[in-house]
Amino acid sequence: MFRRILLLSALLCALGMLAFAPVQAQGDTLSVAWPYQVPPTGHFNTFASGGIVLGQYQDLHEPPLAVLMWATGEYAGMVAEEFGWDADGNYVIKIAEGNSWSDGSPMTADDAMATFNIFRLRGDAVWANMTGIEKVDDSTVKFVMSAPSSLTERIILTTNLRPASVFGDIADRAAMMSPDDDGWNGLLQELTEFRPESPVSGGPYTILPDTITEARLMLELNPGGFAGDIQNFDMVQMWNGETEVVTPLVANAELHYITHGIPPTTEEDFANRGIDIVRSGMNNGPGLYVNHAVYPLNLVEVRQAIAYAIDRVQNGFVSLGESGVAVEFMTGMSDGLSEAWLGDDMLDALNTYDHDMMKAEELLMSVGFSRDDSGNWVDDNGDALAFELTFPQEFADWSAAAENATAQLNDFGFDITARGVQFQQHPQDIYASNFEMAIRNWGLGDPIPGRSYLQAYNRYNGQGELAGEGGGAGMNFDNNISFSGGMINVFDVSNASSQGTDASAQAELVSQLAISYNELLPAIPLWERYTNNALNRNFISVPDSSDSVFANFGGGADNWMTYLILTGVTAPADM
Amino acid sequence: MLHDQQPLATDQQPPAPNLSLMTARLYDPLLKVYRNYTARVFLQAIITIWVVMTLTFVLVRLMPGNPVDVLVEQILTAEGISYQEAYDRIAASFNIDKDATPLDQYLQWLGDLLRLDLGTSITSPGTKVIDEIARFLPWTVFAVGTGLLISFVLGIFAGMPMAYYRGSKLDHILSFFSSFSTGVPNYIWGLLIIIGPGISWRWFDIGALRGTYDVGLTPGVNAEFILSALEHAALPVFTYIIAILGTWMLSMKSSTTGVLNEDYVNVAEARGLKERTVISSYVGRNAALPLFTQLTISIGFVLSSGVVVEEIFVYWGIGHLLFQSITVRDYTTLQGVVLLLTAVIVFSNLFADLTYGLLDPRVRVSGEK
Repeated sequence: MFRRILLLSALLCALGMLAFAPVQAQGDTLSVAWPYQVPPTGHFNTFASGGIVLGQYQDLHEPPLAVLMWATGEYAGMVAEEFGWDADGNYVIKIAEGNSWSDGSPMTADDAMATFNIFRLRGDAVWANMTGIEKVDDSTVKFVMSAPSSLTERIILTTNLRPASVFGDIADRAAMMSPDDDGWNGLLQELTEFRPESPVSGGPYTILPDTITEARLMLELNPGGFAGDIQNFDMVQMWNGETEVVTPLVANAELHYITHGIPPTTEEDFANRGIDIVRSGMNNGPGLYVNHAVYPLNLVEVRQAIAYAIDRVQNGFVSLGESGVAVEFMTGMSDGLSEAWLGDDMLDALNTYDHDMMKAEELLMSVGFSRDDSGNWVDDNGDALAFELTFPQEFADWSAAAENATAQLNDFGFDITARGVQFQQHPQDIYASNFEMAIRNWGLGDPIPGRSYLQAYNRYNGQGELAGEGGGAGMNFDNNISFSGGMINVFDVSNASSQGTDASAQAELVSQLAISYNELLPAIPLWERYTNNALNRNFISVPDSSDSVFANFGGGADNWMTYLILTGVTAPADM
Repeated sequence: MLHDQQPLATDQQPPAPNLSLMTARLYDPLLKVYRNYTARVFLQAIITIWVVMTLTFVLVRLMPGNPVDVLVEQILTAEGISYQEAYDRIAASFNIDKDATPLDQYLQWLGDLLRLDLGTSITSPGTKVIDEIARFLPWTVFAVGTGLLISFVLGIFAGMPMAYYRGSKLDHILSFFSSFSTGVPNYIWGLLIIIGPGISWRWFDIGALRGTYDVGLTPGVNAEFILSALEHAALPVFTYIIAILGTWMLSMKSSTTGVLNEDYVNVAEARGLKERTVISSYVGRNAALPLFTQLTISIGFVLSSGVVVEEIFVYWGIGHLLFQSITVRDYTTLQGVVLLLTAVIVFSNLFADLTYGLLDPRVRVSGEK
């Protein structure tokens, strides 16, 4: 028996000793993070679900045609060295010469043809205003437009290029077919089930398939790829996981930059460890939606009173700390977009609905409401202002926003009951009009202002049918509205504002949207979510936080970090 | 009485079928099967699995959201695109047959299952569910199985002295540890290991120990890979040991306490046998017997017990696959994993039923008498 115990102890000791492995050397390795699935679930077909895309870091292996600089509104060419509208209203791009894919094939117009023909097979929105795509020469591609559109321009330029050597065969066959053809769905299925044996990179780094584990994967320098010759790191280490998984690594200084949203308490801990928190506006955030079929929430005075009664600064801070920035202009789009698209005079004329209980009281009294003996509000029918406010219970910041708004409104004399709903069920309830008040998102992480209104006027206002389960009228807001500027259909105007290429005409439409929203408040924006990217400057050198590049959205297209990598600015801190 | 009379037979009429004989021919074999204990419990196991799978099929589709909705929500804010764009892209990349009714899907799934085909993943079209299970299952079996066996052995050896010296300081200390170990869930132990030795004291590099083996290695039978796999399994295995050990210690203490009062132990001591012989041959073996049944049943829960621990240590096994398939509503993968878990639990119970008589000759199953 003693011998058995001895053997067992030895095994345990061996396991224990192995666990205390020495810290690995980092070298000139950029350490970042994004969740991905490992093979066989994860794969290298970045057009299909399950593909190892790596979020904004896709730019590093499948580079974008261009990046929009949000501070200036100008596009900076990446793989596309020239781009713009031709005299016929078509869009033309010229692919930079001299770059090659990691399989040795040169980067040419064929790659753009393959990419956009696959988009057509998938039914991507970029084809909504396009009738065709033509290869002009080996480096030039023309997008034939049915109608010029700055939205289409953006979608084209922020596209990540894919290699024709991998996807060209399917793309060519798609180009020869139409969606009505018998083989169309079969080809689409072939695309989704297509599994390239290895990743082919056209960017400065390429994924090493043998390094893919559930913990991390490595990307090595791809000297022939776009911007491969100006990189300051030899490798990129991509840690896998969501916020709770990567947080210990950041705290342990093994991971140097994350775009994951982190709670305020974690922010504080990171700051104590000398980690910088970088904030960029995301052009969206939580708002208080009301069901316009529920009396008296359909009264504009009531919605305005609610806006006055809620201290949005407090609401934002208790929900997300410094990254919960109260909305000032209340135009349905972010304050940054309001400042960029509306003149100073117009901004001055907007009602900012600053926290003011007296004004809220006046508004309610103006429509015949009064307080009962206990000080609570009753409407002109004598009914209490009692509503249920639902929110997705798994979203900590939105839950906090809901609880705080409820408390503030109840202090004012409403009778609000907050109720958390499972986060995947909650949007279905909104689509189905199964709510009275709810916390959902306003705006969109996109610099085109008209698209900020898609949530309020489309997604949560009748587009529920698209979601399948909860088809319904959503918030029941009539998009045909009357405001100080006249009568418009806000959904049509929001779509029209991103069409054409005349910025002044677009601005006119945007101003109609902004003013009407400010007057009617179909939903009440609470605060804008700012990123709280953790950046360990002890390991990574990037410009100071005052640099205009940080105006770029911290996640998705136009990410400032990938832009700085692609331009050779990001470097090890000790360089 | 009239209704008891048989109809008259004539030459034109065929002989009346002997219903009782036909019934007997039909049902006798079934009756024999039913009377056979092994066959009966095996049949019950199959029916149990089918019922669970059918319920699972229905319940997963009643869950809020669907695979498209889940991914649409994920990329909406992350990529700053409209709902329409997100929906179109995800729906196309899934290539879902929107015309298939739930009944069609059920019959298709059942038919595939009879051919031992678990189908393909919804969220990773073209990837076979069986391949996904084969990718993740071995790691869970290895880590949780190792933890279970080590804790079992340790529990037996630690539980005996607790019973022998009950009331002593040793008993109090070990009993406290056992209660604490049993009361704290395994994921809390996992977090404590990460936060304490990992982050605060920096005894080891938590990043380097993530995953099931080192970056750059190819799985195979070679020393480098095996050592790497052991290294990466160390923390999850340690967590499982700590979390389960107390249960085995307390069970063994209880079982040993009962055995110590048996006459044959007193007789053995009266015969002047060495204490070591009494402990190992008379007390230990008999006290451990009930724990073997418990161990057999525990094996059934091995696969599903590590969901959160696997996420904490990024040690992806079948628990991660289950978690992930629920999160993204990958119905086919979820059904495949639940089928596996159900089958293992049902058959491990069956195995315990059938083998207990072999371990303990005193026990006889009624059906076998």
